[in-house]
Amino acid sequence: MADRKYLLLQRGATEKQEAPSPGQMEEMYAAFNAWKEKYKANIVTMGGRLAPGGKVLTVSGVMDGPLIESKEIIGGYMVVATESYDHALEIAQGCPGLIRPGSSCEVREIMGP
Amino acid sequence: MSDATSAHELVEHSFRHDYGRLVAVLVRRVGAQHLELVEDAVQSSLMAALTAWTSGHWPKEPNAWLFRAAYNRVVQDLRIENGRHRILHRIGETNADSMVAPNDPASVDEIGDDLLRMLFVCCDDVVPWESRVMLALKTLCGFSTGEIALRLFTSEANVYKRLARARDRLRQSALAVETPPLHALRSRLPAVHAVLYQLFNEGYLSFQGEQAIRRELCDEAIRLSTLLAEHPAGAVPETSALLSLMHFHAARLGARTDAMGGLLLLEEQNRSVWDRDRIVAGMEWLRRSANGAAFSRYHAEAGIAAVHCLAPSFADTRWDEIIDLYTILERTAPSPLHTLNRALAVAESTGALAALEVLEGLAPPAWLVGSYLWDAVLSDLHARVGNAIIAEQHRTRALDSAPTESVRVALHRRLKTRG
Repeated sequence: MADRKYLLLQRGATEKQEAPSPGQMEEMYAAFNAWKEKYKANIVTMGGRLAPGGKVLTVSGVMDGPLIESKEIIGGYMVVATESYDHALEIAQGCPGLIRPGSSCEVREIMGP
Repeated sequence: MSDATSAHELVEHSFRHDYGRLVAVLVRRVGAQHLELVEDAVQSSLMAALTAWTSGHWPKEPNAWLFRAAYNRVVQDLRIENGRHRILHRIGETNADSMVAPNDPASVDEIGDDLLRMLFVCCDDVVPWESRVMLALKTLCGFSTGEIALRLFTSEANVYKRLARARDRLRQSALAVETPPLHALRSRLPAVHAVLYQLFNEGYLSFQGEQAIRRELCDEAIRLSTLLAEHPAGAVPETSALLSLMHFHAARLGARTDAMGGLLLLEEQNRSVWDRDRIVAGMEWLRRSANGAAFSRYHAEAGIAAVHCLAPSFADTRWDEIIDLYTILERTAPSPLHTLNRALAVAESTGALAALEVLEGLAPPAWLVGSYLWDAVLSDLHARVGNAIIAEQHRTRALDSAPTESVRVALHRRLKTRG
């Protein structure tokens, strides 16, 4: 039972980059495709997957506080529901949209109300 | 600027997005139950701006000027209305000068918040489904009722009626009065996605009207979706996937018609005129959408569009990949239309006989059987396997039920060469 929720924070990935070459575009698609193969059975019932907003607020508040030590930019974030921190890490590692050169991903457990 | 009508039109065009921004910022402050009053105030302050500015009084900070003009008018109009003490009290806590003006760089985030909140208001449960796109076009995109009617192929009276009803419903909505924090609205994201998707498709899928006019709907859908995708409250993988598929489709928009405005089928399109920047943007959002552990219908549709955009030619398309994605799409969002599309991909990858087998198990609903799509596909497939008589029957029906002349011409060309 996936009763714990984890926040995946993507950092430092919003800077402009050069337009990718056709080969790089193929690689981008391949990354999407690999991710698809992993999760295509896990079809989202629209809106049902993310934790309710209240829990995100808890973390959003933290985001403005001690989490931002420098002028790092939060490129994006998402919440995953899973059974363990290790599994949340595993999901983060399997997401090309989350990690790429020049960016990092922070995984934190959400202390739910 | 003596002609009032032309001034009115100029305001609508030049200030379209200012209109949306001002409405959103003010609705946030006074509540969506006063939507109509806010819209009127914004409209008249934009008119006032045009008069003042064109007579040489160009303000140092146009955005702040507009905001204060609209805000003052809202306050004034609210005072005129009776029994609004509670609202006035709420506004009384601040005044227009002390409020953060919209042009203040520090408040760019705040404007984004307000625009987004307005988008959520448009998608409120109390607003009837068919009115949501209209309300978004009116309040966020600054389209007039006439412009909306023109784009959605309905009468101006109908748009007016629906907008009035939507505003009435909003007056009773808790969301309108309480303006909850954005994160609390996340549960409404699927409704927001659906409205943005519909807005885009109204422009993309329609065969009617001028392309330039329809394109505006696609552009607005992309603008609002980008706003959503770049805001913490909306930055979920589904939003990225939705935006990705919009960019991919928009990339091909210009290539869908020939010089005479006639419809071109995918295999006839000149791929070199597909918009490269759009394809790159689509790919970037697709990459971002590959996030988390859940696959949505928007992921499937974005993936399909990506495969088409990456294919050097119709013949060199990775049909197996498309079949796989349509199979997922059928499970995510069951529709016989998706099965029909999968059959087409199967026809290209395996053959027409296999495609007919896909359709054999399908019990199409009446709307699909009565549409040109169904007959066109069956005519094509039967012709390819040599059932000339059946193919001809479907061909006749497809041509008869084509919604527009350009569709009929395209069908005629396609079904003749194959048949």
